[in-house]
Amino acid sequence: MSDTRLLDQGTAPIRFARGWHCLGLASEFSDGKPHAVHGFGTKLVVWQDSKGGLNVLDGFCRHMGGDLTQGEVKGDNVACPFHDWRWGGDGKCKEIPYARRVPLRARTQRYETVVRNGQLLIWHDPEGAAADHDLLPPELPDVMTDKYTPWSWHRREINGSHCRELIDNVADMAHFYYVHFAFPTSFRNVFEGHTATQFMESKGRPDTAAGGYGDENSMLKSVATYYGPSYMINWLEVDYKGFITEVILINCHIPTGPESFTLQYGISVRKPEGLDEKTCAYIAERYTESFGDGFLQDVAIWENKVAVQNPLLCEEDGPVYQLRRWYEQFYVDVADVKPEMVDRFEFEVDTTKANEYWQAEVAENLARRAAAEAGSTASADA
Amino acid sequence: MASFVPTSEETLADLRRYTEERLVEVACLDCLARVRVKKNSEHHTSVQWSTQARADCQEFQRRGTAPGGRDVHQPCPRMMASIDEAVRAGDVPIGAHDGY
Repeated sequence: MSDTRLLDQGTAPIRFARGWHCLGLASEFSDGKPHAVHGFGTKLVVWQDSKGGLNVLDGFCRHMGGDLTQGEVKGDNVACPFHDWRWGGDGKCKEIPYARRVPLRARTQRYETVVRNGQLLIWHDPEGAAADHDLLPPELPDVMTDKYTPWSWHRREINGSHCRELIDNVADMAHFYYVHFAFPTSFRNVFEGHTATQFMESKGRPDTAAGGYGDENSMLKSVATYYGPSYMINWLEVDYKGFITEVILINCHIPTGPESFTLQYGISVRKPEGLDEKTCAYIAERYTESFGDGFLQDVAIWENKVAVQNPLLCEEDGPVYQLRRWYEQFYVDVADVKPEMVDRFEFEVDTTKANEYWQAEVAENLARRAAAEAGSTASADA
Repeated sequence: MASFVPTSEETLADLRRYTEERLVEVACLDCLARVRVKKNSEHHTSVQWSTQARADCQEFQRRGTAPGGRDVHQPCPRMMASIDEAVRAGDVPIGAHDGY
């Protein structure tokens, strides 16, 4: 008998989450060519048809497994490079140029698509039910107009981690200090239905020279909501020395394997009034860079940590067990979704004590740095 | 079917400890909604709603449940006031048990 606490690494789910997943900006796929996107343990083919609609199928031809992403768009269909079988956006084989007739069973996996806020979303459902359009993320007013800068869109492959690591951040107050170099002064969660929200106010740490959350001159008000398992809209109001900027950050991912996913983030900034296009573009680029750095800070942690099914919590931690209970709804059959997975849950983190300790630590760091600088000046003088 | 599967019984005990223990029922002073509350400190509050409570809450009914509406994330001020009142009356104990 031992009192030593053991990490339960658990077993990752054998299926991928049910829900809307974003594949990227719609404009990336509109050049009349087939595109490859890795997702859900396979490769998907994405193409635009002659009516401008975007279509998504499993990337491998049901004939002999040819790679449709290396084929061609012919008319409205994608043609396999191996034997020219033509597949329509509805998942049916439309034509086999050398055959008398197309087999009736020639249907492949198709994904329903929606373009929202300039992004291509697809519905993934292991049970194969029709897409639920009530679960789509909301439309963002004025984004994609000249009031906002165009999406700056980025991708990063993450290997060796289940995408739940990314979700866990919703309830993780303290990592904003240690990983992102900010004081989270106010932190609240609400989970309900298919949404999970984090409200945070934070201020950058003056003892770190990092961008993103950690700039000592910036105060941040952030509302970040997951709409389903993989797509978050983060409304950010950044107060930089009194100059307020509204930033919309999309944080989304596509699971690619049991322990890998493609992280994507996009940023659009409301153009501050009175500033010219060039300055607006510069501001947007700076925010893109700093929030991009923020993600890289997370990635460094994920790539080296282990999975934990039994996190040990202290009083200052957020509600990670309730968050994971919410997230579980996307991994079970619809019939098995339990009320507690979707019932409203609210949690206010007490950040008072944590911030007292952190302020003291930062003050110490600054004093140590000042002493070191004074020391090196003194020795340079000698 | 199970998805994320713990490999030990103790993990299930933790799950219950963190999500179910020490919750105290609080009734709204203005409507029929009853929620379960935990307070680890003066400022911390954990509020577990049920489907029934969500339906009973007049404030939430008034706001509607349109998906994507940003104000659905705001708490019900009447329920928050009712919780504060229950805390003042000593019905909701303040304090954490070893982090939960």
